[in-house]
Amino acid sequence: MNAALVLWSWCLRTSAKWPVLQTLAPFVPVVALWWAVAAWGPFPPAFFPSPMDVVRAFGSLVYRGILPEYLGDSIARLAAGAAVGMALGIPLGLLIGLSRRAYTALWPILLFFQAIGDIAWLPILIIWFGFGMTTMTVIIVYTVLFPVVLNTVLGVRSVRVELYRAAQSLGATPARVLTEVVIPGALPNVITGLRNGLGYGWRALIAAEMIVGTSGIGFLMFDARRAGSVVEIVLGMIVLGILWYIVDAWVLAPIERATGRRWGLVTQ
Amino acid sequence: MGAGNRLAGALTFVMPLAALVLIWAVVVPAFQVRPQIFPSVAAVIGAGLAGLRDGSLLTHAATSLARVAIGTVLAVLVAVPLGILMGISRGLSAFLTPLLRFFSVLAGIAWIPIATLWFGYGFGAIVFVIFNAVFFVVVYNTLLGVSTIPMPLRHAAASLGAGRRAMLSDVLLPGALPNIVTGIRTGLGFAWRGLIAAEMIATNVGLGYMLFVARDFYQTEVIVLGMIVIGALWLSIDRLLLAPLERATIERWGLVRA
Repeated sequence: MNAALVLWSWCLRTSAKWPVLQTLAPFVPVVALWWAVAAWGPFPPAFFPSPMDVVRAFGSLVYRGILPEYLGDSIARLAAGAAVGMALGIPLGLLIGLSRRAYTALWPILLFFQAIGDIAWLPILIIWFGFGMTTMTVIIVYTVLFPVVLNTVLGVRSVRVELYRAAQSLGATPARVLTEVVIPGALPNVITGLRNGLGYGWRALIAAEMIVGTSGIGFLMFDARRAGSVVEIVLGMIVLGILWYIVDAWVLAPIERATGRRWGLVTQ
Repeated sequence: MGAGNRLAGALTFVMPLAALVLIWAVVVPAFQVRPQIFPSVAAVIGAGLAGLRDGSLLTHAATSLARVAIGTVLAVLVAVPLGILMGISRGLSAFLTPLLRFFSVLAGIAWIPIATLWFGYGFGAIVFVIFNAVFFVVVYNTLLGVSTIPMPLRHAAASLGAGRRAMLSDVLLPGALPNIVTGIRTGLGFAWRGLIAAEMIATNVGLGYMLFVARDFYQTEVIVLGMIVIGALWLSIDRLLLAPLERATIERWGLVRA
């Protein structure tokens, strides 16, 4: 008992020193448990591979150049989709948020199309564009677009009227109101929208790659499923998880926090 | 809000959608769009009526809804107690947070390949995918909810003699409820998309399957019908069931942060 407590306090102290360790530490018992169950062997190894098998598969896929290439493909698709989605979504959101008429006309349509959801578009997109890059790009742009637009609208509408009036009565032109009141005021929401959109887009990409794919992590997993190779499926899942964890926890969340601190309106 | 106001609100919501349908009804014949590319309004209505008459549309929709309901209920039943247990101890919850974040990233779709291997194509695999989509998000949010309950509240309850059970039912559960409901809403959003994807891959009944099979025969009217049904179903679940529930929970139990 005492030894366990000493160990625990040691864990806490080291993890406080290096935050990365704090992130990694919880995975140690999980992997250990996984290893133990695989070694104990209630499931056949073909169904339930051990961590070593997955590491070995990782080595071989990297060595053959498949994993880096697929990973690059997936990331490039997501980045391209996200960039286009933002380029369309932020101006559209500003427009809808600022104009009452555009809001009444477009808000229900936005909600409805968001509700259809990315993946339901797959069949008809395949008919229109065939199995390929265009279909996947459209899906990701679609997925990223809606959360960005909806959150930008929310952000613009949450800017308090007094702030507009103050800027206007101090003689700000509409352009300056836009760049110095509306956009900074909406920025925290825009970033939140982007973060949600990328989260949905990432999942949509995986699904699209499974169904239409010719390359990418989703395709790797689905191809492995066809070949009955659980090792590669598990590897794909781990790569997906790690990648998104890095993007979300180390890139998007800090940006969101920083924007919130810098421009966030303190609400009562 | 009076009944007249609500009616006006519903009208302003429906009007733009009606206008969209009108544009669709004009554009398709005007440009003579081939039915393999995009169907006419009449064809979609025809497909809807045919689906209603032979009952296939209802079967697909009911199956999809039943899968979501079963997966979600199972996930919530397991996730909420687990999340509260984890949340009681600060150290444990800080320790487990990265793990939960990792798995909630994998939520839903990424489980499809392995689920179909473990459970075969069909009901089991799909419910498993939905369970996963909801489970991790709800556990994470419950944990978050419990850990945001101010310590003084818990101390106050304890010093007033609250036992374990009273603490659970009067402090922890109500305090975490707003976060739990938000978690359920987010998780269901992922689950609904995951469901459609899983049904395209792994089954022979359900809305996703209906869409994907129609693609093989270039029946765009069935695809568009399916998309409208999917959109309308999710919109009504989200706006008429989940959003009011979330709002009511936050109003009733939400902690007002200064």
